[in-house]
Amino acid sequence: MQHELDKTIESLHPLERKILPLLEKHRTAAEICKASGLSETEVLRALQWLSSKQLAETSESHTELVWLDTNGEKYAKQGMPERRFLEAAEKHKGLDEIRKAAGLEEDELSICLGMLKKNCAIELKNREVLITPHGKKLLQGPMPAEEFLRRRFPAETGKLGPTQQKALAELRQRKAIVKVTQARQVNVQLTKPGLETLRRGIREGMEEKLTPQMLKTGSWKGKEFRRYDLLSAVPKIYGGKKQHYRRFLEEVRDQFIALGFEEMTGPIVETEFWNMDSLYMPQFHSARDIQDAYYIKEPKYSKELPREIVEKVRQAHERGVGGSKGWRYRFDVQRTHRHVLRTQDTSISPRTLSSPKLKIPGKYFQMVRCFRYDVIDATHLADFNQIGGFVVEEGINFRHLIGLLKLFAEEFAKAEQIKVVPAYFPFTEPSAALYAKHPEMGWIELGGSGIFRPEMTHPLGVKAPVIAWGLGVDRLAMFKLGIKDIRQLFSHDLEFLRNARVI
Amino acid sequence: MPTITFSLKDLQQLAGRKISPEQMHELAHYFKGEFQGYNKATDEATVELDDTNLPYLWSVEGMARLLRGVFGAEKGIALLKTTKGPYEIIVDESVKEIRPYIEGFVAKGRKIDEYLLKQLIQLQEKYCDSYGRRREKASIGMYSYRRIKFPLLYKAASPGSVKFPPLGYEREMTLAQIIEQHPKGKEYGKALRNSKAYPILTDSNNQVLSLIPIINSNSLGKLEPGDAEFFFEVTGTDAEATRLATNIFAYALHERGFQIYSSTIRSGGKIKAVPDLTSEKLKISRQDVRNLLGLDLKDAEIRSLLEKARYGFNNYTVEVPPYRADIMHPFDIIEDIAIMYGFDKITPLELESYTTGKKARMVDFVDITREIAIGLGYQELFSQILTSKATLYDRMATPDPGTVEIENPMSENFSAVRTWLLPVLLEMLSKNKHADYPQKVFEQGLVTERKVEKITDHEKIALASCHNNADYTEARQTAEHLMRQLGFEYKITETEHPAFIKGRVAALAINKKTAGFFGEISPEVLANWGLETPVCAVEIDLSELRHY
Repeated sequence: MQHELDKTIESLHPLERKILPLLEKHRTAAEICKASGLSETEVLRALQWLSSKQLAETSESHTELVWLDTNGEKYAKQGMPERRFLEAAEKHKGLDEIRKAAGLEEDELSICLGMLKKNCAIELKNREVLITPHGKKLLQGPMPAEEFLRRRFPAETGKLGPTQQKALAELRQRKAIVKVTQARQVNVQLTKPGLETLRRGIREGMEEKLTPQMLKTGSWKGKEFRRYDLLSAVPKIYGGKKQHYRRFLEEVRDQFIALGFEEMTGPIVETEFWNMDSLYMPQFHSARDIQDAYYIKEPKYSKELPREIVEKVRQAHERGVGGSKGWRYRFDVQRTHRHVLRTQDTSISPRTLSSPKLKIPGKYFQMVRCFRYDVIDATHLADFNQIGGFVVEEGINFRHLIGLLKLFAEEFAKAEQIKVVPAYFPFTEPSAALYAKHPEMGWIELGGSGIFRPEMTHPLGVKAPVIAWGLGVDRLAMFKLGIKDIRQLFSHDLEFLRNARVI
Repeated sequence: MPTITFSLKDLQQLAGRKISPEQMHELAHYFKGEFQGYNKATDEATVELDDTNLPYLWSVEGMARLLRGVFGAEKGIALLKTTKGPYEIIVDESVKEIRPYIEGFVAKGRKIDEYLLKQLIQLQEKYCDSYGRRREKASIGMYSYRRIKFPLLYKAASPGSVKFPPLGYEREMTLAQIIEQHPKGKEYGKALRNSKAYPILTDSNNQVLSLIPIINSNSLGKLEPGDAEFFFEVTGTDAEATRLATNIFAYALHERGFQIYSSTIRSGGKIKAVPDLTSEKLKISRQDVRNLLGLDLKDAEIRSLLEKARYGFNNYTVEVPPYRADIMHPFDIIEDIAIMYGFDKITPLELESYTTGKKARMVDFVDITREIAIGLGYQELFSQILTSKATLYDRMATPDPGTVEIENPMSENFSAVRTWLLPVLLEMLSKNKHADYPQKVFEQGLVTERKVEKITDHEKIALASCHNNADYTEARQTAEHLMRQLGFEYKITETEHPAFIKGRVAALAINKKTAGFFGEISPEVLANWGLETPVCAVEIDLSELRHY
């Protein structure tokens, strides 16, 4: 306890040091301002610190102040209208003459009449005024209202005597004589530790700031520094930071690299050829409807397709290759050149498969932006990331595919249990969907997979089996990042971005 | 992907076994489907089917047929015996160029109730919309048999010459009026958009049965609960899709207890009996099964698994049931072996070959620029790539240098691919005026440029600093810091940019080629974004830098 108080004393700010001794005599902020010569803001700030250190207790009280208003100032100089009325009534009888002589306004006159009749100072008959003896007496000395107006303003209403209170009550009912305002008053009182602090004495000569000057001259030697209030809040700063979702995707990329996968990329604006046809998706397939893909206005068609591969793909669609009947329809060669925004990441695989740089055995992946004609809401984006890839190697088969899915489930969903079930993709046979039991999320659909159809790989010049896969990691990302609305993956809310946990 | 609804009790009855909703969950995988739920009160089960090439499974009868194989109650090709009927359909030369294929049969033997009618209509609709490509490729009509006088004539008629009352209407309308006025005409009229004459089906009393593939006649083309005999017809522009629909329905109705009476199609000099239930035969090999699945199955196992899947099997010649048209390659059959074997019983194998992981070409480079930006205290953004020309140019007071625009945008806000990143940053700042300043944000990412015919993606980085004292000096310090850290020799040159204050914007040149610009954003642009705090900014084309 003793020690605590010492620490407190050491931490006193210069302002606090200045006003603390004044608290013995002065009990309000206003008085302390006057006594210390500090501004009101400084005093209030210091009082707040002192009270949070429990050296002083502050409380607020509200006082009512009365001020002279415009008429009040006039009457204080000229006397009250009723006096002027009585003085005129001594010389004149008629009401109108009196008003003129006294120089009263119409509304002043009616108030005068009411007041004077109520106090039995006059009698009124046929618009003629007669002053009563009581009225004459009134004229002799100052009226209570006049006495009130002569005091100093502003005055605290709480400190007025009973007569003055009564006068004020009447004046308040009359027009623009007085006005009353509320004033806040900060009261302050020393606490026991406050008194104890003063008893022990505030140490002088505590340094506020370590300056380069002090370091240069060595004047810091033997000095002590004021202790700070270490626990009070300080303003926030915001550091530079990676975006939360991109950071998550980077981690996924690193995981693939660690698993021996090589990253592929491709253009955002694709052709129907690479996006669909080379994947053996027939041109009449429903996923190619205008409702699902974004088509490009200009240029509508690409001029950069490899003619030889297009021809082989056309044959595969029309008549089949490698023991297949094909889709048996007329392949539209112009249409295959049509530009679309990439609708699926798998569009990159045929580019790699047909490249002379393809390595067999090889493991490849891509994580790219894709676009679909979709209404944007809490679970849908028109512009989203997809992750997928393939493994090409002589002699691999469906069992390796399941092995790969198991590896992905362990790696990305920390899942020990998986379910692999039949699925359909136009470019794979067999096809499978992967469900994984995430330790916290439970069963989730993690991805799709299959062995690329020979009708797809043969025209691209690949005879070795190719296991294709795609992973849906957005749900994992949302779970990990603690967000419910998929749009927050691309959030533009700065406070959200600044406060998002780095995980 | 079609979603179908049916009575679970009905499926149980047809499959010959009790099936709980939980079991349905597992069994749906045999259909490449996902069980969506079961309403106990109405006994309605819902399944979504993945495979757009297997329409026979879009019916409770088709599912039950496969399940009888799975349960071992039946095996091999399902039997369908048709009776030869005296029904003839004559195909006129005039439909040859429009919609040449027609098949049909008569089904008799039991009364149709409301549930069955609903099931038939569900299958009809799913088939026509999805597999039939919104009726263009194939469409289906059902009629009450007793009002029709055979033989029927399938021909094309000019749109104004023929009148009949379409379904739902009492008055007669011409074919052209039906296309224009009838709801189905408006919905499916597209299928006839290239034809001068429209296909119709008439009976021997010269009554119109249907305007194909739009709408049946109100008098002849109505099927109602209580009907016990009906005529079923499929037309199409694709022979296979037409035949497939006929066979799927013939099987389904046969399994519902109907007797199927075949009809004869006369086309030119040719005569054909339909339904045509000849099944296709494909050769597979044990070696193929082993290579694809990695399973060393015995001949008898392969036979038994294929028969479960309702194929016929004779010494590795596989007979495909006539209600399937999805088999293009032996692998399609081998997949069914794997499905019947059970994916969960297949032991996984690990990939053993060694490969090295590698990031894509630009990744390391762009990541370094991001690291530098973060070191300068900038918050990273990761934004949508789709935006609008209003954001990219109008608000930036900057002309369009060539943009990839979407022909069919869903919304104007997402109708263009971004060409630069600064607008993205300013848009973001404009939404965060309530947040603490200073605000320093950056984005690194792809933009797409269109130069006449050529479309190229570029990696760019843009940084914006928004606070009371943001100025040219800060922008330049930021740009120069980036260049120094990346080790580029650069030159700063005077330039003009409409989004920046004149005389307070400079270009960054490397080897005499401009790679970026920086400076103070003009008050006009800030006002366009409703920003009341100055912004200084940098944008650099990283793909340009990477050339050196």
